This record gives sequence, C-alpha cells and structure tokens, in this order.
Amino acid sequence: MEGNIELLKGAIALIGYGLGAVGPGIGIGIVAGNAITAMARQPEMTGTIRATMFLGIALTEALALIGFVLFFIA
Amino acid sequence: MGRLTTLLWAVEHHECDVENEVICAPENVNILFEYKEPWFSVGPVNFTRTSFLIFLAAAVVIGLLYFGLRRNRLVPTKFEAAIQSLVEFVRDGIARDIIGPEGVRYTPYLLSIFMLILVGNLFELAPLINFPITSRMALPAFLSLITYVIFVFVGFKKNGIRYLTDTAWPKAVPIGLRWLVGLIEIVSTFILRPITLAVRLFANLVAGHLMLSLLLGSGIAFVLAVGEIGPKAGIGVVWFAFGLLMFVFELLVGVLQAYIFTLLTAVYIQTSIHPAH
Repeated sequence: MEGNIELLKGAIALIGYGLGAVGPGIGIGIVAGNAITAMARQPEMTGTIRATMFLGIALTEALALIGFVLFFIA
Repeated sequence: MGRLTTLLWAVEHHECDVENEVICAPENVNILFEYKEPWFSVGPVNFTRTSFLIFLAAAVVIGLLYFGLRRNRLVPTKFEAAIQSLVEFVRDGIARDIIGPEGVRYTPYLLSIFMLILVGNLFELAPLINFPITSRMALPAFLSLITYVIFVFVGFKKNGIRYLTDTAWPKAVPIGLRWLVGLIEIVSTFILRPITLAVRLFANLVAGHLMLSLLLGSGIAFVLAVGEIGPKAGIGVVWFAFGLLMFVFELLVGVLQAYIFTLLTAVYIQTSIHPAH
C-alpha cells in the first residue's frame, strides 16, 4: 500500500498542478481581455494600462507558479 | 561540463527499463541546475560555475552602465542612447509612474535589480552560458529579501507604528469585517509578498530552462541516435525547431519577468508609503 501511494505521488501532484492552473488561467484571460478593451477604448492610456495589466497578470500568475513549484517538491 | 553534455550524459546513464516504464524520465531534474564540482574553495565556501556566473552578471551590469553613462554627450552613440533609454525607462516608467514624484530616489535600487535580473535571465539564452542564474532559488530569494526589508523599513519610516496598525485594522472596511480583512492583509503583506516575489521569478526561469533543455536536448539525442532508430530520428528535427521557437518566447519571458519583479518592488514600496489605499 505504501509503495503504491509512493508511485502515485507524482501523478497526484501533476493533477493538483493542473487544477491549480485553471483559476489563474481564467484570471489572466479576464485581466488581459479587459486590458485590450481598455486600450481599444482609450489608446492614449496604453502605457498605464499595460503596466497595470502586467501587475494584475503577475499577481494572478503567482498562484499557478506556487502549484508548479509544489509539483516539483512533491 | 556544458549543459547539453550534462543532459546527454543524464540520458545515456539513466537506467531505463523500456519494457515496463512508460516514460523514461531522469529521476531528478536537479542535474540541469546544479553544478556541484567547485572550481576552487575559500574555506567552507565553494566557488562553482553558478557563483562565477553571478559575478559575471554583476560585472556585465556594471560595465554596461559605466560605458553607457560615462560621458554626457550632446549626441550619444547608439549604445549610449540604448543604455540611457533603459535608465530613463526605469526612472520614469517604473519609479515615477508607480511610486510618484518621491519615487525617483529609489531609482538606483530599482535599476540595479532590473539590470541584474535582466542579465541573469538572458544568460539562459546566451551562447556558451545557457544557464539562468535566477533559476537558483538563492538569487531571487535574496533579492526579494532586500525588497522586503526596504518596503517594511520605508513603511515604518513614513508612517511610524500606524503602518502596522493600519494594515491590521483597516479603517476603510466595515467594523465587523475589519479583523478578517486585517488578518488577510497582514498575511499577504508580510508573508506572501516576499515569497511570491521570489517564487514567481524562480519558477518562470526554471520552467523556461527545463523546456529549452528538454526540447533542444531531446532533439539532439534523437538525431544522434539516427543509426539505431532510423527514419524515426526525424522527430528530433521537429523538437529542435520547436526549441528554437521557444528561444524567442523565453526572450520575452526573461525581459518580462525582470520588468515584473521591478514593477512589483515599486508597487510594494508605493503601498508602504501610502498604506491607506
């Protein structure tokens, strides 16, 4: 039994990472999509919007990256 | 030992039971990131290839800035104009735009980490180096620790003890929820911020390095095995081409991650100066 769980650990971690990537994926999509809408509406604000967009993407992405690191730790 | 030879060595020396194992993966990816054999040792400190690359990155940054900003010419050369626009980008685009007018005094620190991370990330793509120093946790962790110390220090210096009390007991929130929001704020500001800052950079570069190693290395391994597997080795050409495509993507990721690290540092300093919003 112990050995079987040991064998499965990598696969379970992989599934966990996959699940963990769903939320940030949706989040990044929303951030980038809204940033494109904003840029299209006000092209003169593109610089500010881009900086804010990267900020939002970076904060959202952190969750997926923690999952990625946990996958290697597991 | 170069990275590619390391990888090929790992592929060759890994004992794989082809009959029973579905994927012939090496047991550990650490072989791609660790350079154990020291070049020389000073006391207990081992000077490895990674240590050398960190010093090389620092030297490259210092050299670029020194030769780019040495003379204040009316008409700068192309190289000088590029370096100056980079400095201007950090000063105006990051320090002033995010932190505000008083943020210009943080430009030296922001410029230093931006340049060091940028050069460190681009080492991933540099020929003969091919190793991003930021993919070892020590460097991102140390940089994020410096950022942590700076923004906590700035917060206490600008706001006194109110920096802590305003974070733990936010006045803008309805009173019933204040303890909960305050708890979340405390955890996210003082614990999660430095960790995610370091992990973000580290994980991006680890993923990029792994992907490039796997694609280029397996491409070459397949092509070299043409004698044994015959026309199936053609798949190696596809892998290699895909790896070259990822080079462009990794260039984007490297520059973007340096930018994001600097941007987040600026944002953290800004929220320490004005914690109210």
